[in-house]
Amino acid sequence: MSAQPDHTARRALAQSISVVERGGAPADALIASALEHLRQAPPGAQPLVIGITGAPGVGKSSLVSALSDQARTQELRVAVLAVDPSSAATGGALLGDRVRIDERPDDAGRFVRSLATRGSGRALARAAAAASLLLEAAGFSLVFVETVGAGQADLGIARLADLVVLVEGPEGGDEVQAMKAGLLEAADLVVVNKGDRPGADAAAERLRSGLALGATPVPVLVTSALDARGVPELLQQIIAMGASRTADGRIRRIAAHLVARAEGRLAERIATADGDGTLATLARSVSEGEMPLTGAAETLLGDGRSA
Amino acid sequence: MTAASPRVGWNVAERSTPIRVLIAKVGLDGHDRGAKVLARGLRDEGFEVIYSGLRRTIDDVVSAAIEEDVDVVGCSILSGAHATLLPKLVAGLRAAGAGNVVVVAGGIIPEADRPSLHEAGIKAIFGPGTTIGEVAAFLRANVSAA
Ligand SMILES: Nc1nc2c(ncn2[C@@H]2O[C@H](COP(=O)(O)OP(=O)(O)OP(=O)(O)O)[C@@H](O)[C@H]2O)c(=O)[nH]1
Ligand SMILES: [Mg+2]
Repeated sequence: MSAQPDHTARRALAQSISVVERGGAPADALIASALEHLRQAPPGAQPLVIGITGAPGVGKSSLVSALSDQARTQELRVAVLAVDPSSAATGGALLGDRVRIDERPDDAGRFVRSLATRGSGRALARAAAAASLLLEAAGFSLVFVETVGAGQADLGIARLADLVVLVEGPEGGDEVQAMKAGLLEAADLVVVNKGDRPGADAAAERLRSGLALGATPVPVLVTSALDARGVPELLQQIIAMGASRTADGRIRRIAAHLVARAEGRLAERIATADGDGTLATLARSVSEGEMPLTGAAETLLGDGRSA
Repeated sequence: MTAASPRVGWNVAERSTPIRVLIAKVGLDGHDRGAKVLARGLRDEGFEVIYSGLRRTIDDVVSAAIEEDVDVVGCSILSGAHATLLPKLVAGLRAAGAGNVVVVAGGIIPEADRPSLHEAGIKAIFGPGTTIGEVAAFLRANVSAA
């Protein structure tokens, strides 16, 4: 039997991600100390945060697993945040991405965490930005963020990630779809996965011709997560595009966290107003002409005291 | 209560977030129907369920449990290797500093083997015919406040 891997650092990181998922003052304190740690650290390269998005089942998790293996051959420390939806009715979630991501229990340079959306109503968890800051402070140099399988535009990932990779299957990618789907607008790179299946190259061609109509050319690559074909080239492309980025990723992620936090507060406020009848009262006042729409909306947004 | 603030699956008095459960399938058999039914059932009961997939090793399960910071590991075993694997899982979690994780087992485990498994730290053994509701109730009662 192999020696017991040392799980101390891994466990501390995992627990701190749980704290930011729970939110509140403990989360703020943790994020603040991670940022303080980053300020004290000698200025080095920031991690590259890569959003992986695309329709359900196109192979996002499998591809992340293959990319992680590839990155480890280059000694890059890799973390994965894999997001799946929470049920709005029960709050429960089935987090299934891990099934497709190979376990490497002895490798301290790899960390995989599943996040439930927990009422964000989005393709991302509210804690994703904060978690990526914690991963940066823990010294990971590549962070993959897999969104909920989304077929439609959810641009939250573009706010958080340095680079957004849109994954398509070999059947997808007709030109019209390419032009109308909001997801494509957010993509810096498009991957046609399941390249081991017939039709992948043709799908890539269709996407290329559709994307050629856009302002900036978006590279389209073909991969197979099954046999790793195209995966080294994809990682190389990701790293090259990451190297030429100009924006400050940390600022971007702090901004994404601020937005998520504000959205969380707003959702709480609405839930409270819903629960205690304030919302119904406001609506009634508007209906009876006692209150203008703008006033009611501002009251709902504001601290409610003016009501 | 509105749908926006679900309560099911929470230890209401103390917790504000769902209980996290890793459902792990160890051993060589390729049957995971039962594990999947349990995973879906617990999701519907309000738990956050991480499903590990087939044929994981004990080291895989320990590492996944740590990274996912779960409250519970539910280990499904059909291959008859429970007598050695389950105590190893508990020992692995303890060695990793996660001795507080509640370990439960499902599958076909003979009555005669149960006392030694309980002694080794397995909190519950759910045989065939156990309902999801029973599993959920046991977990809510046995997971301590976060
Ligand atoms: N043939 C083939 N199958 C693949 C490939 N990549 C993934 N798959 C299979 O496609 C299915 C879905 O793969 P996932 O990696 O779970 O896809 P996903 O996009 O993460 O799915 P969601 O997270 O549920 O949206 C699985 O059965 C994989 O084995 C590939 O390159 N080739
Ligand atoms: Mg996935």
